[in-house]
Amino acid sequence: MRLPSLTRTKPEAPNVHAEPLWSLRPQSDREAGDAVVSNFMLHWFPAKISKAAMAWSYSFWLGTISAALFFLLILSGLPLLFLYVPSVERAYQSVKDIEFVITFGSWIRAVHRISAHLMVIVVVLHLVRVFLTGAYKNGVGRGQQREVNWVIGVVMFLTTLFLSFTGYLLPWDQLAFWAVTVGTNIASSIPAIGPGVRELLIGGRNIDQPTLIRFYVLHVVFLPGLLGVLFAYHMWRVRKDGGLARADAETVLESARATEVVPTKTYTLLGMARGTAPTVTARTMAAPNTTVNAVPDLTRRALIATLGTIAVVSIMSVFIASPLEEPANALITPNPAKAPWYFLWLQEIVTDTTIRIGSFTLNGAFVGGVILPGVLVGLLTFWPWLDRSSLRAAGVWLPRERRRQNIVFLLLILGVLLLTFVGMVLRGPYWNFYWPWEIWPEIPGRI
Amino acid sequence: MEKRTSSPYPRIDRLVLAIVGVTLVIGTGLFMWSDRAHDWRYFQAEFRQMVAEKFGDDKAAILPSGVQQIWAGELSRADRCVTCHQAVNYKGFEQAEHPYRTHPAEPLKLHPQEDFGCTSCHGGQGWAIDTAAAHGEVAHWEEPLLSRTLGEEYTLAGNKNALMQMNCNTCHRYDRETKGAEAINLAKRLINEKGCRACHVVNGFGGTIGPDLTNVGEKAPEQYDMSRLSGQRTAFAWHMAHFKDPRALSAGTVMPNFNLTTEQAQALSMLMLSWRRQEIPARFVSGTPRTDPRSAEELKAEEAMKTGPGGWFVQTGCFVCHSISALGVRSPAQIGPDLSNAVEDVQSRFGVTIDAFLANPTGTMSVVLSRQIILTPEQKQVAIGKLREAFAEYQRQRGAPATAISK
Repeated sequence: MRLPSLTRTKPEAPNVHAEPLWSLRPQSDREAGDAVVSNFMLHWFPAKISKAAMAWSYSFWLGTISAALFFLLILSGLPLLFLYVPSVERAYQSVKDIEFVITFGSWIRAVHRISAHLMVIVVVLHLVRVFLTGAYKNGVGRGQQREVNWVIGVVMFLTTLFLSFTGYLLPWDQLAFWAVTVGTNIASSIPAIGPGVRELLIGGRNIDQPTLIRFYVLHVVFLPGLLGVLFAYHMWRVRKDGGLARADAETVLESARATEVVPTKTYTLLGMARGTAPTVTARTMAAPNTTVNAVPDLTRRALIATLGTIAVVSIMSVFIASPLEEPANALITPNPAKAPWYFLWLQEIVTDTTIRIGSFTLNGAFVGGVILPGVLVGLLTFWPWLDRSSLRAAGVWLPRERRRQNIVFLLLILGVLLLTFVGMVLRGPYWNFYWPWEIWPEIPGRI
Repeated sequence: MEKRTSSPYPRIDRLVLAIVGVTLVIGTGLFMWSDRAHDWRYFQAEFRQMVAEKFGDDKAAILPSGVQQIWAGELSRADRCVTCHQAVNYKGFEQAEHPYRTHPAEPLKLHPQEDFGCTSCHGGQGWAIDTAAAHGEVAHWEEPLLSRTLGEEYTLAGNKNALMQMNCNTCHRYDRETKGAEAINLAKRLINEKGCRACHVVNGFGGTIGPDLTNVGEKAPEQYDMSRLSGQRTAFAWHMAHFKDPRALSAGTVMPNFNLTTEQAQALSMLMLSWRRQEIPARFVSGTPRTDPRSAEELKAEEAMKTGPGGWFVQTGCFVCHSISALGVRSPAQIGPDLSNAVEDVQSRFGVTIDAFLANPTGTMSVVLSRQIILTPEQKQVAIGKLREAFAEYQRQRGAPATAISK
């Protein structure tokens, strides 16, 4: 196998890719483009990319970081697959062994756990970024379907949450057991079908071995597979849609100055024949000062984002130990019993909308656990079709035209964050409210 | 050949990439180091040196190194204590400091480590290989090492090492006497002397006024009402305080204050926590009784009390607090006065006849007769009749001192 050549010779024949690998230092645009064409992993990159779309301050590279975290989760999950035993008798023991005696075990588990939590955070941030920049809006290219990619993104976000939630149960400790109890109880408050949904989810009426094996298979096979497929489609769509919306915004700005738009680049032969392939205008793409070669400028940044993520997670994992509480016990409810942190805003709403009048209780689980998240996710999914702003408001941070919807969106996000904070930090035993400086009653021990 | 598009990025991006690379290397170094940094490496090196000094380098060279464990498969225990406590089976370090001390030989004869492991007797977290976690001095581990240190923390009145006896009683719960478990033996004697079974079921028999205590050790700390407990908030501390003064911890309880000494209260608390539901393979308990043994005399005495002339008082529950010695009924708790002479005693205590008192009781009896033992007017008449019988018998026995029943 040849190493990437640093000093390279000319291809032997025109249009033949002599290099099995790519050059780290392409001498010409042609050579830089060859790298993309001849390499499977780089195939989803265009040969050239607009500088604006590559800027750290536009996308914060949150999508790449999410992907890096997903990659890290698969990588750290593989050794755990060999070590973890998905049985109620042995799961807890096997996690103890991972923690205490497996070489690098506690670090691997911490990497897996921290990546999972970070992935939820980064995916949310990515979604927020796309919303605030109106990046789900189509630009000037033909055949663009960014709104479809937005819907795919929302599904990927929900898959990420469900992945994290199914992983939560696996250590089979009190934290796992009761977080999943609280989480699945919310599902059972859907009228009519709720109890059935819960039963399907946990494989019975109690959380036991059938729940563990369901969650395990969902966690290690089904959901990662689904996320992988969605991820591939998500990336393909980005390419089909002519890159980030930012690139379109550049074109729009350019075309304001000149009127003539010349389609010069297309991606599929059939698409070209039908006239449905996305095209990128010659002006922006050809202009030497607005674009750079994907190899090495884009790949280098992708490498920085990926390796940077790995480095940060690796160091965090040395210092942040993963919790493992008492073995799961259906007879003892820890006080307070909390859902996983990303569902705490829902748990908080459930409590706040539960109304007690005398002995009569109006359960808030339906409002807080079903209606509200249902409406929010529904709005989120279909927002691209409700957003009536012009294409000038796409790919730009906080455009004036989208100011009102961005403010409402940010207020909703703020509300969710606030409720999450209340649920995480300010709720003590019996879900009573405690200020951070107030001390919770001491949790008793045995001896 | 066309020229390459010039890019403004490499200058700064290469530097960032280099920094990321260095951070990655540092991170890798950190986690490799954190995986290696364990106390047991120090303890093993130290012990190796001790063996080398005492028995020579040859002996030291064959000492095992790395994480060690005793796998007691039948009890599902992987006890890695021997990673640091390497001297457990190494004769010659009987007087050394922990963790370099040889285990006393006597208990190991009947409880070989390869069967029992370490934690089934000593407590602690066998899975762990770091001191604090292994000794269970961490959050979310409910079985701490039952050590002298912990005993001192509770200021045990007797043997400071006694807490470990709780684990003896996991298998030896039906023993009347267990060699070496003095605190547990004391507690078991108290259970019989104080007549706890008058109100509580233990191992399948006893009264039902109080809760069944057979598996009281399984009760989770969260299930205790600790609101009136001061000091250590543990199940053990709760039991100690409760034995000392039941009413102070649980308002409205009818459990009497037995004026137990600290040592007795501590012993009983240990016994309570030792009564747990635990499946033990048969061969582990081959030498111990499998049910709570009652001697023939005990059974005979109980039967005689139930079927004798005072049987009514036993069935109704009066005997829990009161003896009726004239009729051969002996109360296990003896909290109330002997009812043999109730007919005249009630008159002198309350200034009313027995009939009037039972119809309209005052003081403790008003509570007992309205909540614990609820009698119909007919039953009250039976009671009065029986008490008169007892009094007649009492007077007859008094008249003939040679046959007086002594308590």
